[in-house]
Order: sequence, then C-alpha cells, then structure tokens
Amino acid sequence: MRPWLILGFILALAVVVGACAGHEWASPADLWRAVSGDQALRSRLLFEWRMPRVLAAAFVGALLGVGGTIFQGVFRNPLAEPYLLGSAGGAALGATVALLVPLLVPQSYALPVLAFAGAWGATMLVIGISRVAGAVDAAGLLLAGVAVAAILGALRSFLMLALSDDTVNLQVVLSWVLGGVQTPTWAGLGVLLAISAACLGLAMTLARRLDVLGLGETMAIAFGLDVNRFVALAVLAGSLVVAAAVAYGGLVAFVGLAAPHIARWLVGPIHRPLLPASALVGAIIVTVADAIARAALPPAEVPLGLVTAVAGGPFFIVLLAQRLRR
Amino acid sequence: MTEIAAEDLVVQRGAAMLLEHLSLSFAATGSVALIGPNGAGKTTLLKVMAGLETPTSGRVRLRHLDLAAMPKATRARTIGFLPQYFEPHWDLTVMQLVDLGAQRAGHLPEGALERTTTAFELAGLLQRRWSTLSGGERARVLLAMVLVTDPPILLADEPAAALDIRHRLDVIRALAERGRERSSVVVVHDLDLAFRFFERVVVVVDGKIAIDGATAEVIGDQRLDAAFGVRFERLRTEQGWVLSASSELRAVR
Repeated sequence: MRPWLILGFILALAVVVGACAGHEWASPADLWRAVSGDQALRSRLLFEWRMPRVLAAAFVGALLGVGGTIFQGVFRNPLAEPYLLGSAGGAALGATVALLVPLLVPQSYALPVLAFAGAWGATMLVIGISRVAGAVDAAGLLLAGVAVAAILGALRSFLMLALSDDTVNLQVVLSWVLGGVQTPTWAGLGVLLAISAACLGLAMTLARRLDVLGLGETMAIAFGLDVNRFVALAVLAGSLVVAAAVAYGGLVAFVGLAAPHIARWLVGPIHRPLLPASALVGAIIVTVADAIARAALPPAEVPLGLVTAVAGGPFFIVLLAQRLRR
Repeated sequence: MTEIAAEDLVVQRGAAMLLEHLSLSFAATGSVALIGPNGAGKTTLLKVMAGLETPTSGRVRLRHLDLAAMPKATRARTIGFLPQYFEPHWDLTVMQLVDLGAQRAGHLPEGALERTTTAFELAGLLQRRWSTLSGGERARVLLAMVLVTDPPILLADEPAAALDIRHRLDVIRALAERGRERSSVVVVHDLDLAFRFFERVVVVVDGKIAIDGATAEVIGDQRLDAAFGVRFERLRTEQGWVLSASSELRAVR
C-alpha cells in the first residue's frame, strides 16, 4: 500500500507545482481562484491553457511509462525503450507525414493512425533485422533499433525540408519532433484521459502473460503460453500505446526507459502492479520535466524532449554500464 | 495403460538428424531414466514430447489425443517440464515464481501451494529473491514451480546436473519417487543414480533407442558398453550396481 500512497502524493504535488510553474509563476491560491470559476484574465489563462497542458503532460508520461514497461517485458530486456527501439521514431515519421503531406482524410484522424502504423512498422522492422542478423540479445536489438531510428530520423528530416512551405509552419513540426506536449481543450483532455485509461487497461490484460514470458521462452511454452503469438500481440499493443504518447507529446526520450525501472524498485517486477506504478512514475517525470521546460528560459519554452534526454541519458548510461559489468 | 507415447518421431535440423524414427511410450505410473552419450538426442526427445519443439514428422500422443492439436493450457497442465537450465529475466521472489507455476492450472485444490512449499522446504524462503538463492535452493524452487500443479506426467531434463552430490541425490530421488503414483521421466547424467533409483532405463544413441528395459536387465546388457563407447565393470554393492568405466572403447564398437 505504501508505494501507491507515496506515488499518488508525489504526482499530486508535481501537478500542483507544474501548474504553478511557467514563465509567469502562479501561487496555489491563484490556482484555487482559477478552478473555482474566477473570470479574471489571469485565472482564465491558467484554467484554459496551463492546467490542461499540465494534465496532458501527466497522461503522456503515463502512456510512456506503460509503453516502456510493455516493451521491456516483451523483449525481456531492461534496456528496451520505445525511443531506442525505433518505435517512437516510426511514430514520429508517421505523424510528420500526417502533418506535412496533403492527405484526403482530416489531419486529426490521419495523425494517430499514421503514428501507430509508423510505431508498429518500425518495431517489427527492428525485430526482423535482429532476427535475421541472429542477434536477439540485448545488444543486437538495441543496435538494430539505433540504426532504424537513424534512418527514420533522416527520412523525417528530409520530409520536413522538402515539404514544408509557407502554409506549413516548420517551427510547429520541429518543436513537436523535439518533444512537447500540445495543449488540449478540456474536452480534448477527456479524450486523452479515455485513451490513457484504455491503454492501461489493454496493458493489464497482458500483465500475467508478460510475467510468464519473463521466465524465459522454454518455461513460457512449457507453462502453456503461445510465445510467438503473444509477442506479436504485445508488440502491437506496445506500439499502440507509444503512438498515443507520440501523437500527444511528440518525441520524448528515455521516460519509457526510466519509469519502469523506478517503478520496479518500488513495487517489484510482477507486471500487474508494475504497469500502473510505471504509469504513475512516468506521469511524475513528464509533469516535472514539462514544468522545467516551461519555466527554465522565460519567455521561451525549452523542448520537453531535450529536458528528458539531458536527464535520462545519464540514467541509461548507468544502466548500460551496470549490465556490461555483469 | 499408455499415458504418453512418441510415435515414429523424426527431428531434422539442417543436415543433422536428431531423432530417427523413434517410438517410445510411458505408462501412467513409473519412473524412467533416459540415458545416453552427449548429443544422442535425449533433450530433443524430451522437448518434442513436452510440446516445446515440433517434430519434422511423427507425432506425440497423450492418452488418445494428438499433442499438437491439444490446447496449450491443457498441455501445460498435463505435462510438467523441468528444463536443464532456468534463469528468470526478472528477479522474482520464490513466492512469485511458485505462484506463476500454480497459475497455469487455473484452479488449484485448497492448500496445494502450502503443501508444495513445505514439501520442497521453501517455507522460510518465500520472500527471498531468485538472485539471492543458492544452487540447491534454486533447484528446489524450480521443482516446486513445475510440480505445484501435480501434473500427471513429468518430463525432466537433467535438472540436477549442476548441483553438488547431496543436492543431486535429493533431487533425483524426489523425481524417481514421484514415479510411484505418476509418470516420471528423467534425463539422468549420472549412470549410478539412474540405475539405483529408477525402475526402467531407456538408452538413447544417435537419435534411436538402443536399449529399453527394466533397470536390472539393462545394466547387464552388453550393448550398454557400446552405447557409451567404453568398457563397464559392473560392481555389486549394498546399494545396488555401480558402474566403473574404462576407455577401451574401439574394440567394443
């Protein structure tokens, strides 16, 4: 019970501090006035712009935490991460296409669908490459992921250079690619809440089988798991979660790596408690990082992805060093 | 009555023939030791019979059902498979590991979990993590994970090979004693343990069955020497037969 109370408390604190933070700091009293229906401009700005943004950041973080946990569970590899495995890069490429290429369908539909297709395609490509190369171990998978992510990044840059014109603001695409939570309306936030809850629910249906898979392939099959089918299913589910996170938050590095690790320290490696705990930890990380992004260099905003990369990169290096030493 | 049977199994991987038209059946009760030189196909045979690998041709029959057509959950409840090597990817506790084994049964009879943890002397270790366990403790945890559901058939692949002699003795004896009420088939590396504890011995050589019979008959069989490529001296002791090998092999072959 205790880790949940601690996580819940820290998240609540992070959301309040996040709502206070910005190029113009607000006090908790200001926040209270804003939520209790004050019509002053400052209160309305807080209520309509900053608060949805802060909550959206929390949901994006929760999605990244859940996505990272699924990927680490499927690949039985604590270094697996959507950003490193190319699936976030694939989602970003899909989303860039949706933003820049004139399509027949409205952007609001095209973006999530293409982001999902990109995330799933990139992940399957990485799995395929590492299988063909005969390297399904940690290093092989990560190297294939790095290579695919580099190719996808180059393709995305090319699209941005070739297709942006006056009608499409390159700045918008770029800031999104560097990671940045879009500010939704309260109705849009409701949709994001529903998507996040559905993603967590979907992940929870995989929880027990992720535990069994963690016993190793031989034992998993002996315990009745159809390993090939389950891995395919779980990669699909993981891609869905990552695509949702990328559609709302752009490319945010290392949260999917760090959140499951921190959650594992708190609640252990069994997936049924681990998935919601990772969601909470991810939400805390992104809420705090987003607050830093908004408040560090007023009036400008630092891209969120840069904040998490600067903080998360060293975390990854420490994990990698620990693993190599073993 | 036959509980599980391999029928004309062929397993080919690349150019290598791992099993060549091998047929073998096990009754609902009895302890069987599978022995043979390295690379004879013992592990492959066990994995195919447990449904972990698909044979190139032939089939495995469980009572009157085809194993390949059986639901995977039913197969997992009926056949307990004990691998040669087990290392979980996450550092779970003993309780969590045994529980994951128990969950494949869907529903366990009251007290089954407690009986198993007591039987394998795990009661004091339940909250310990895998990484903190000794080799002997790990072997007991693995046994508990597989046997907690009390599967009718146990297929074990040298589960004791890496243990010291006392733990090896304990594990092999526990597996053989299981044959009194269930079907217990164990790949055994240590020939003395095989001949001392098991009722039936099957000798596998080059993907085929070389000798199959009651323990007392197999030990006297001169083909045993050829199977392992050595000359055995059979020494009678109070505990049963002990084999002493000398390597005057070529003449026999």
